[in-house]
Formats: sequence, structure tokens, C-alpha cells
Amino acid sequence: MPDRFLAVEDARISFGEGDARVRALRGVSIAFERGTLSLVMGPSGSGKTTLLSLLGCLLSPDEGTVFVDGVAVNELSGSEKTVLRRQKISFVFQAFRLLHSLSAIDNVALGLEIRAGVRADKMVMARELLLQFGLGEKLNHEPNELSPGEKQRVSIARALAGNPPILLADEPTASLDSEAGRNICQILRTQVDQNGKTIVVVSHDPRWKEFADRTITLSDGQIKPQAQGQHA
Amino acid sequence: MKLAWQNIFHDRARFLATVLGVSFAVFLMVFQGSLLVGFLQAASRFIEASDFDIWITARGVQAFEFGATLESRVREMATGVPGVVETGRACMAFAVYRKPNGKQQIVALVGADSNLGKHFPIPGLTETTESRSADSVVYDASDRDLIEVASLPAEVEINGHRASIEHEIEGFGGFLGVPSLFTSYRNAARYLGVGPEDGMYVLLRVGKQYSVSDVQRKLRQRLPEVDVLTREEFAHKSRMYWVIKTGAGSAILTAAVLGFLIGLVVVSQTIYANTMENLEEYATLKALGASRVFVARIVLIQSLICGAAGSILGLLAVVPAMNYARSLIPWIHTPWWLPVIMVVLSLVMCSLASVVSIRSALTVDPGRVFRA
Repeated sequence: MPDRFLAVEDARISFGEGDARVRALRGVSIAFERGTLSLVMGPSGSGKTTLLSLLGCLLSPDEGTVFVDGVAVNELSGSEKTVLRRQKISFVFQAFRLLHSLSAIDNVALGLEIRAGVRADKMVMARELLLQFGLGEKLNHEPNELSPGEKQRVSIARALAGNPPILLADEPTASLDSEAGRNICQILRTQVDQNGKTIVVVSHDPRWKEFADRTITLSDGQIKPQAQGQHA
Repeated sequence: MKLAWQNIFHDRARFLATVLGVSFAVFLMVFQGSLLVGFLQAASRFIEASDFDIWITARGVQAFEFGATLESRVREMATGVPGVVETGRACMAFAVYRKPNGKQQIVALVGADSNLGKHFPIPGLTETTESRSADSVVYDASDRDLIEVASLPAEVEINGHRASIEHEIEGFGGFLGVPSLFTSYRNAARYLGVGPEDGMYVLLRVGKQYSVSDVQRKLRQRLPEVDVLTREEFAHKSRMYWVIKTGAGSAILTAAVLGFLIGLVVVSQTIYANTMENLEEYATLKALGASRVFVARIVLIQSLICGAAGSILGLLAVVPAMNYARSLIPWIHTPWWLPVIMVVLSLVMCSLASVVSIRSALTVDPGRVFRA
């Protein structure tokens, strides 16, 4: 029996109507092993982000099944999907998506509050996470006072708050310079190696191949033959 | 809910715009409400100032200001009805007032027997002016400029009869646009040419052991040619006449209703716009796994903070505005419950507006977080 920790089976999904109809995924089946970093590549419009949205329970396929931690997501209600997402999945976005009015530490604490409820020690935990990512001097800085690389590190700290096992990253280095991008690659690789996280990265950035366990290439909504990646 | 507070205070310009919007709405609602309440009160002030239970008026009289003469037998017949323990008379008509400087002015002359109640302007005069002349007259302080007397007492003429203005009272400023003068019923009847035993309004006090409605019914049977109304009925009739049937009243009512609606729309619109501004962040929260309750609570708290701040600012602005308005519009009145109701209403509107915007926040597609 295939590992259904994080998987899609024969997923098909289309957007739009009539002539404008776009078939974003055309029968994609793939399983992501626990404790691996998988890289999904492909040209724009190949279905990468759609695949990530399915895995993150943000979209439902027209046909096929999505599994998260062995649970068939299709059968869940909207609120059940929210609970599953809260417990199992976190995201890192290309545009960081930090809450603009909150400081770095408050952004991380909010992630913790959403996943673990209100905790007396949430600020301590948020501080520890930010310290891990070298942001000890930026704890009380608001997002507009941080560099893109720092924002992405805060975003990753927020994603890791509450210790979800799955992390889905959409173009996490696209807005970063070379050094900051490499730093983010290393951070995520470390999360796989040291904490056993399962990470799926969607990216055009070829640097990721060096850090990924596996590379999946999508083209026109279908998977091309896999290429083997390397550890950092 | 740190996020709610931070969202508000982070964008101070937007917060200020929202608070100003709400405060404008509260100001508008309280001010227009005060005009309407004051107008309603002024329209029935004389009726409610008496403490008699029943008013008899000529058939079809719509308001205190437009009475017609009743024959003396009406009062005599009413006195004979079981339950009627005391009677009084009142009248009101327009008269020509000749000022000490010789100028003439139309005035509303109100006359009443001294037993009409301690709140009616006449008893205050008679109880304290035993030494004054029988034809003494009082006026309301808000009419001081129109009365034009340099000092009291002042010799004047009313409808060609000599009169003495001897006292100034407060709280009976009218909306008729002419000053009001108050005197005893006997004096007023003389000035107006009404027979000393006739009346415009016959007021009846009902004994405590009798039902007012029973006495009213008996009076209607005995006096079918006149209107027999309880004090509340006549006050209501008078208010409805002034508010519904006159252009001035309709304008005030319309302005109050419009002020209320505009206030509600402004509150709703500002709160809704505020929520829509942060829609992307709500999508992020949902993608992170925030529950609907979590997101809704943030939106609601933000709305209530804006509503409360706007209400406080609106009330702070309306107090001096009302004080100034009172110097121009003596009958404007803000009862304590009006600002309370308007603030509560504003908060309710903020909540309702946030419910509409919460809907937007809750239905926002969390998948949009992937769009850069």
C-alpha cells in the first residue's frame, strides 16, 4: 500500500468555463514521503501552485483524492479541513504574507496561537524560534522594517510555530537575493534533517535541486519523469 | 486580541477616518434626534405641564395653539359628571403686543387658572406675586429680545389693554416664531375678548377612586358636541398635528429620519471598508488554519473599537454644539436617553456592518495567498 502521509491520486482540476477552461491538473498521482524535501518544478501554468493548494487543503480536486496524514481530504467538510490544516500543515509564501501591523515576534506568536491556542509561553516560544533563525535583534521590528530575507525567515518561523509536520512552500526564494535565498534553502533542509519535517517546495529556482531529496517536474498539468536530487 | 488593536492603530489615518465617520454619524443622529424630541415636547408642552386628567376642547381642535371658545355651560355640565372633582380653564390665542418703545408685535397669549399644576407657568406667577397687579404678565427668557423690555416691571399693551410685564420664566420657549406671554385666565380672557365664564379648554381632575376612562366615556355621552380627551391623548394629538400635518414638523421629522439613516450608512460603510482593506490578511489567517470564530472575533472587535471611539468623539462634539444650538433654538432638547440610544445603535450598526464584512472575510478564498 502506498504511503498516504501526503499524496494525491489521479487528481484532476479545471478552472473557468467554455473556451476559457484551463485544465490545471490532468490526472496527477504522487506521494511525498515523511521527512523528505521535495521540489516541484515546471514552467508557469504547469500546475505547480494548484498542486500545492490541493496538498494544503485550500482547493478540492474535481476528480481524484488528496491524502493528508492518511486522511482522504475530499471527504472532509470545510471546517474539518481547517482543523486538519491547523494541525498538520503550514505554509511559506513567496510574498511572505506577514501581518503588516504585527511585529516579527507577534507574527510568530500568532501562528502559535492559531495552531496551539492561547498559551502563556507563546511569546517565549516565538522568541526562541526567531533566535534560531538569527533574528534576535529584530524581534520587535514590523515587517516593513525587515529585509526580504528576514521577512522570509520570520515567515518560516511562523510556519514552524506549533510544530506542524508538513510545510508547503511556494517560491520561497523568488523574492530573495542569492545569499538570502541560499540561507532559506539551508534552513528548510535543516528542518527536514533535524526535525523530520515533510517539505514540498514549488520553485523555478534551480538552487533547490541541491537541497531536495527529489524533484518532480510538472508540465501541462502532468508529471514528467522524476529526477533525483542531492542532499546539501 | 492583539491583532485587532494592532490592525487599527497601525494604520492611524484609516482609523482616524473611520472614527471620524462614526463620530459624524453619532453627532448627526443626536443633533437631529434632539431637534425632533424638542419639537415633539414643545408641541405638547402646555398640555403636559398641567396635572389635570381630562381636556375638553371644541370639536376638531388639533393642537393647543389653535383652540376655539367653549360656552360656559360645557364646564358646568362637566362639573356634574360623577368623578370630576375639580375644573380649570386655559386659553391660547394670538394678540397684538405693544412694546414700551411703541413698536407692535404679534404674541401668543396663554392664560390659565392658577390651579392647573405646579409646572404650568401661571401658578408660579400667582403664588409669588400677591402684591403684584391683577394684570401682570410673564414671558419666557428665550423671547427677551422680542419682548424688548429694558427693566421689570414694564408697562405694555395687549390688544389695546394695559398690562404689566413683571416676571421672566424659563423652559417655555415656543417654536411658533412669535414670543409667548403668560397670564391669568381672567386677564387673558379680557385681553382676548372671551367671556369671563367661557373657556377655550376646560380641564378636569378625576377623583382617585374613579377611572379616568369611565369618566371620559360619561363626559362624551353628556357632551357630544365637544372633544373629550385624556391629557395623554390631547398631547399625542397635538404632537402628531405639528409633526405630521405642518411643513415645519414634516421637515424636522424628515431631517431626523435622514440623519438617522445617513448616520447608519456612514457607520456601516466605514466599518465595511475597513474590513475589506484587510481582506488579504484574513485570507492568510484562514490559510494558517484560523477558525471562522477566530477571524470573526478580530473583525468584530475592530468594529466595536472604532464604534466606541467614534461614539465618544461624536458625543464630545455634540455637547458644545447643543449648548450653542440652545441659544438659537430654545426648544431643542436632548434627553439623557437619546445619546445612550444613539451610541448603542451605532455599536449595533458597527456590529451588523462587521457581520456583513465578516461574511466577506470568512468567504475569502484562502488559496489567494499563493497569488503574489
